Amino acid sequence: MASRSSALVRPAAFRSVGRSVLLTLPIALWSLVMFTPSLRQAGRDSHIGAVVVMLFMTTLFFLMMRTGETYRWRRIFFVALGFLFPFGFIAALVVQRGTMSIPISRMVSGDTPFCFMVTPSIILPAAFARTIIFPGSILPTASNHASIAIMIGLWFALTLVLGKAWCSYACFFGGIEEGFAAIAKRRRLHRFVTKYGHILRLIPWAILVFVVLVSAAIFEPVYCMWLCPFKAVTEFPAVRNVETAIQMGIFVALFIGLVVVLPFLTKKRTQCGFFCPFGAFQSLFNKIHLFEIRFDREKCVDCALCQTSCPTVALSKESIREGKTLLNCMKCGACVDACKKDAAVWHLKGTPVAVKPERARLLFLYGAWAMATMFGGSILANSVATMLHWLPWK
Amino acid sequence: MRARILAILAYTGAGLTLVVAACVPFFLMGAFSGLVAHAGLHIDATYSGGTIARTIQRNNYRIVVYQPVQPRMLERIEPFVQIVFEPADSLPAHVSDEVDLDGDGRPDVRVSFTVPANASVKLRGDVTALNGKYVSFAHVADESFSRMVVRTGNQIVVRVPLNKDVAGR
Amino acid sequence: MPALSFSASAGEALVLGLATGPVCLATCGPVVVPWLMVQPQGVRLHSRQLGLFLAARLAGYMVFAAAVWLAAAAIPHAWTGRSWLMGGIELLLAAGLVVYAVGWPHRRCVAAKATSSLVQIGDAPPPQPSGALALGFLTGINLCPPFLVAGVRAAQLPSLSASLLFFLFFFAGTVVWFLPFLSLGLVRRTPAVVTVARMVAVLLACWYGFSGVSILIERAIHG
Repeated sequence: MASRSSALVRPAAFRSVGRSVLLTLPIALWSLVMFTPSLRQAGRDSHIGAVVVMLFMTTLFFLMMRTGETYRWRRIFFVALGFLFPFGFIAALVVQRGTMSIPISRMVSGDTPFCFMVTPSIILPAAFARTIIFPGSILPTASNHASIAIMIGLWFALTLVLGKAWCSYACFFGGIEEGFAAIAKRRRLHRFVTKYGHILRLIPWAILVFVVLVSAAIFEPVYCMWLCPFKAVTEFPAVRNVETAIQMGIFVALFIGLVVVLPFLTKKRTQCGFFCPFGAFQSLFNKIHLFEIRFDREKCVDCALCQTSCPTVALSKESIREGKTLLNCMKCGACVDACKKDAAVWHLKGTPVAVKPERARLLFLYGAWAMATMFGGSILANSVATMLHWLPWK
Repeated sequence: MRARILAILAYTGAGLTLVVAACVPFFLMGAFSGLVAHAGLHIDATYSGGTIARTIQRNNYRIVVYQPVQPRMLERIEPFVQIVFEPADSLPAHVSDEVDLDGDGRPDVRVSFTVPANASVKLRGDVTALNGKYVSFAHVADESFSRMVVRTGNQIVVRVPLNKDVAGR
Repeated sequence: MPALSFSASAGEALVLGLATGPVCLATCGPVVVPWLMVQPQGVRLHSRQLGLFLAARLAGYMVFAAAVWLAAAAIPHAWTGRSWLMGGIELLLAAGLVVYAVGWPHRRCVAAKATSSLVQIGDAPPPQPSGALALGFLTGINLCPPFLVAGVRAAQLPSLSASLLFFLFFFAGTVVWFLPFLSLGLVRRTPAVVTVARMVAVLLACWYGFSGVSILIERAIHG
């Protein structure tokens, strides 16, 4: 299989089938280890879900090895995760309580599953008052496995490996807008994004500072209660008065605008790049993460294809001139795959740029894909099992 | 020489990242979760209802009275006291109980509600304040975090607002 | 109500201020942080600006101290009017934040030169004392519970000057908690940092505006 750029500059980056299989073996083994518990569980649907996802993740990794490209194969996994996670989540809610809305009784009983996006908001109250401003439970209960301790532990462990690449390999929401961004053939509003991108990409930082300050002041998870677009496709406080009705309106408007319409029009991940405070928070880890994307200035011809392809405006003319991405780069690989001169390369900090970039890519991908399989893969398997369970002809 | 040392460190770091990745599901995640669990954190009283003040035993059930919850400076809830009736299965069909909330030996509120046979049916209740410290309400289910009569699992949770002027706000 | 001895009340005021400092931080932090981040870099400049802010906050405290002492008998009435005052203050804070975030006086000057390239969104505007004074005063008369507790105590004192001195000591206790804000003067002011600070100020203005309107509407409906 040859990629589009094979006729131009890319050297023998395409591997033979044999070598690709060899390189894929660790991931195949890892998948087997991760899904063996599911295979041991009772239930044919769980078994099928596990096998399907094991093959899915292994095949995608094989294709990454075979073609030398990252972005389009990662995107298939990510879009699947983005659409199947809400499906599985909503299905579980409907079975449990017949509605997506969270009644106050569930918040009072600590049954609200913890979501990562609230992590920045809870840090200051936890640090200064030892108080978690979230209606969950610290330890898992019979009705809430996504307890605060479990989810924070998971988040921290995954962040150690992924850093900001969380937004490309772990976030179970980002795939929704990546999916809508992929639908349109042509970019609209391109000029607007190009002209104002340098301001738009600062908005997540402002929202991060805002939610951290106000959450600490009023001891309420402000982002969850007022600004999260994904409440529209998971669960939301039950509408019982004017305030909760306004909240619901904001959630739906943000979801339609930032997650559906704008990604379709701009072919960018507008919620991720121009709004999400958790993404800004994760960007801080790019300072210490070992893997990054760099630009070989000797090969670069300043065609700006990388800039156009970047889904979150993490590149500017100045940064490319310096041979770097901006802090909000989520290591999706779009720019590397788009570059026709192989100037955009994967890089391990501390090593020379553009020397053995494929080695850096492999080292990064093994860690990232392992985490994607463990976390996103298990969500996918669960959702597939749920779909099978609900098949009408069963 | 410096470049070589940096490269060695870089690849060591990359290798360690892979080791960490391998350890995540088997060890690391559990370790970090344990750290959080033992960090002495607690859920905000707005959600948890605060700390238990006393328990009043009735015939087949008990009433757990919590300490009053005073909102912090900019918190947008009214001050309240949480009362829990448990176990819900052992409650009579209709409950009308006078409860001493501040431990002075005199009842402060009368709580009334009918326990539906079907646990999924929404509960509604009345609270009548017997002195000026508390606020009465009627036919309330889950109006707000400060005033509610709800069923959670095998408990009936009632939250009675405190009179703000008396509570010092 | 028995009058309190001055030494006992001064000590109590200081301790009350120290104990409620974190509350003051939570109230004032969202206003101070973005506003200071919009100012140019420099610890000395920040010290001056923060000094003006705190001085104006002290002025707010003194106004309140005088008001509670003079209206000691009418405190129950003051409670019911408190919501109107809170709502109004929050709306004023919102307006103040927008004005100083957008850099209104700064833009007036550069607009006169009629060159769009001069209006750089990332530029830090020149420091404006009126911003420090306005924001400081508005946060100073924000009627939080510890503030009201201090007010009740001050109203018990035998003279107006004793009430003012009580609040001076209360204020001194809270000031300690503001010293860490000086470290913001060390943060490098890139255009991105200043832009983010302005955006935060606008977001906070929206929040205070919404909060103020909610309080006023609720007061109007429920009386």
